[in-house]
Amino acid sequence: MKKKLKVKSLKFKVLLIAFCFVLFTFNPPEPPFTKGGLGGIKAEAKVYIDIASPALKKLPIAIYDFGGLSGKEISDIIKDDLEFTGIFTYVDRAAYIESPSQSFNPKNWTPLGVEIVVKGTVKEGKELTLTASLFDVFEGKEILKKEYTAGKELIRPLSHTVANDIYEALTGKAGVFRSRIALIGEDRGVTDIYIMDWDGKRISRLGLKENIILSPRWSRDGTKLIYSAEMNRQWGIYLLNFLNTAVKKVFSSKGTNIVGDLLPDGNEFVFSSSKDGNLDLYMMSLKNDTIKKLTSSQSIEVSPTISPDSGHIAFVSDRGGSPQIYVMHRDGSDVRRITFTGSYNTSPSWSPKGDRIVFSGRRETNQIFVINPDGTGLTQLTIQGNNEDPSFSPDGRFITFSSDRDGVKGIYIMRINGESQKRITPKKMRAFCPRWSPN
Amino acid sequence: MKKILVLVLVLTFGSLLISCAQRKVVQPQQPTVTQQETKAKAPEGKTEQKVPEEKITEQQIAKIETKEVETLKYTEEKSIFEDIHFDFDKYDIRPDAKPIVQSVADWLIKNKSSEVLIEGHCDERGTNEYNLALGDRRAKATKDYLVALGVASSRIDIISYGEEKPLCTEKTEECWQKNRRAHFVLVKSKSK
Repeated sequence: MKKKLKVKSLKFKVLLIAFCFVLFTFNPPEPPFTKGGLGGIKAEAKVYIDIASPALKKLPIAIYDFGGLSGKEISDIIKDDLEFTGIFTYVDRAAYIESPSQSFNPKNWTPLGVEIVVKGTVKEGKELTLTASLFDVFEGKEILKKEYTAGKELIRPLSHTVANDIYEALTGKAGVFRSRIALIGEDRGVTDIYIMDWDGKRISRLGLKENIILSPRWSRDGTKLIYSAEMNRQWGIYLLNFLNTAVKKVFSSKGTNIVGDLLPDGNEFVFSSSKDGNLDLYMMSLKNDTIKKLTSSQSIEVSPTISPDSGHIAFVSDRGGSPQIYVMHRDGSDVRRITFTGSYNTSPSWSPKGDRIVFSGRRETNQIFVINPDGTGLTQLTIQGNNEDPSFSPDGRFITFSSDRDGVKGIYIMRINGESQKRITPKKMRAFCPRWSPN
Repeated sequence: MKKILVLVLVLTFGSLLISCAQRKVVQPQQPTVTQQETKAKAPEGKTEQKVPEEKITEQQIAKIETKEVETLKYTEEKSIFEDIHFDFDKYDIRPDAKPIVQSVADWLIKNKSSEVLIEGHCDERGTNEYNLALGDRRAKATKDYLVALGVASSRIDIISYGEEKPLCTEKTEECWQKNRRAHFVLVKSKSK
């Protein structure tokens, strides 16, 4: 009898543990730390830095040179990625007491005020094999250890992947360091779409044939771009599919046709067209080519952009006498104006959560602003030069935009509070219309 | 009592337990970790990871091809008309532009076989997309005025170039004014 009871109580324990696991795994809306261990029993779920907190204290982090030929390059990329987020303080390598070959000892770090230590090694054969470890000084233990392999030409994406893993281990949120930015670049009067890493590196020109190209917009899965281009004296809308490397003209007519945005399901897109004489907004299905008219007015209606939940469209209209941002339901009903300050507000783009809209507003020069979709909370983020075409990073923590503050128009990135504005395209390259990839 | 409690728990959480158990088996034993599953791993065991393939590779970029080629259905002749100009962010025909549009109309009425393409242009201020829209309105306002003066609408084509084809690239009001224009191009259909 006693024995039987013991067994049952063990069962009971298992059940309780399982129940806790169920609670932990399924209940929190965003599990801050998904455990990969055995059934997630050790549910510490430590978030080292709460990036949503307004009173954020930066996390002091030490990042070793990973050694070997590429070690410094790799650790510098990781360091640059993490530093730009604004939530880490990098403690310089010169201060480290522990040599890279010594094993991690928290006593070597507390005097330096370091809370997190990143160590790693690189083996260079035919491929790069990288081992990275993350240590928590306070708890005195290793919290992440991973081995990565990649071809040597992929050293940057490899390093960004490590940075993503470190970022996620410490914040519970996915990093954006592997995301890319599409943009329009101009080379001797010829425009083309370029794709680059989020830090401006590895920039590639697509080599499209259309004459003037504008407004590249990503599909939500990051495998397609829809854009507007002029060819044969006509503005058409083109869909570029990276998977089969094909470009398809999906709409053209007399007059002006400008995207717009792909809907999250990728089957429809919104655009502005003057095919009926006046610039109005339309939604077109890529499946059966049907077109639905969303607005009918004598004014300019342009730059429609769909909210992440597909429910609303933000756009620009001059129906009130000057270009302003409006929001309506996706079927064209319930149109509301949301900008009332300034006489020239254009280029709206939604945050990934749909809680903010970023746009360019004219205050003698063009500046970047964010506003809530209900028209409250207007905040100016830039002051220098003319700043246009803003869009959010996939995690909503950064914004890319174009600016002429340093002379030639180029692509910049900044944090969503306007901090750390920096140019990421080459000084002499004329570049505009940047769009952050969704992943 | 305990027995009953255990039984109740078994019944209540049975199904949840099954899903848990499935998770337990699948997650930690996954040999290759994809980018999406790159959550924090228990540090005890070193996790192998291959850096995932690039979503958009250089090879793909090199292969991209546009099938469409430029095949204009008409030839363009050098413009014999002056440009007309617009105020900043406006698309109404200014008084100083009206005599010019009138001369274009007179010429088109006399030369019945000719057709005209009106290009709408903007200065560099403002965003590319909105300027494309504004250029469309400038070209359309000019076309409407020509039609009002008696030119058949079928003889007039319009296109907007927004701020993409400036005549002048300095950042001065004089230069911007030159760029805020409608430009008349006489065209000849290739088929004729």
